[in-house]
Amino acid sequence: MRVFIMQRLTAVALVLFLTLHMIVVHYPPGHLDFSRVIERLANPIWKGIDILFLLAVLIHALAGAYAVLMDVERVTPYKRALIGGSIILGVVAFVYGAMTILAFDPSALLAVN
Amino acid sequence: MYKTTGFISFLFRRVSGVALVLYLFMHIWVIGAANGGAEAFNARMAVLQAPLFRILEVALLTAVIYHGFDGIRLLIVHWFRVTEYRQSLFYAMFVLFVLVSIVGGVPLLLFALEGN
Repeated sequence: MRVFIMQRLTAVALVLFLTLHMIVVHYPPGHLDFSRVIERLANPIWKGIDILFLLAVLIHALAGAYAVLMDVERVTPYKRALIGGSIILGVVAFVYGAMTILAFDPSALLAVN
Repeated sequence: MYKTTGFISFLFRRVSGVALVLYLFMHIWVIGAANGGAEAFNARMAVLQAPLFRILEVALLTAVIYHGFDGIRLLIVHWFRVTEYRQSLFYAMFVLFVLVSIVGGVPLLLFALEGN
């Protein structure tokens, strides 16, 4: 039940985050490079928004994958291992993703130029 | 059973969901090049400028739009307890999905074909 609620709450958050992400990052379509990304991520508020987006999308994705796998009869006995594995994968991906977002620092661009 | 809108919606939502989970982890890894600095990030992003990846972006967009819109339909059906309208809502959602995919996909496709 908790997985179901997490899935629903993050779904609502993702409608907002993903719409925002598509509008500010992918439209109008163009080459994405470090300088283009840093224009937005130089602002700490955008970094915060992206980290929350990352958290919501990871919870939604892993809860969804868990629900799909639990429908497979052979996987059902390994419920606890699946939950443990999902949490570890989620934490690792979140830490790595958050480090990536924070790596978009204007000083990194100055180092290149 | 296999021809009902409920089953079709369930199947498409699951398939798009699994595809998006796989994409998410690849995306985190690709963007993670930024941890190696601006040059490493730009080098990895340059690989993704190939026409194949740009066309795949259109497929990704349609998967996101389908999954998102069908998810919103489910939320409406459950929260507002309108199960009797779930089939009509599916058709309405599908029309919206096609329209938004065209509006969002055409600029991406043109960018992919123009190659600039």
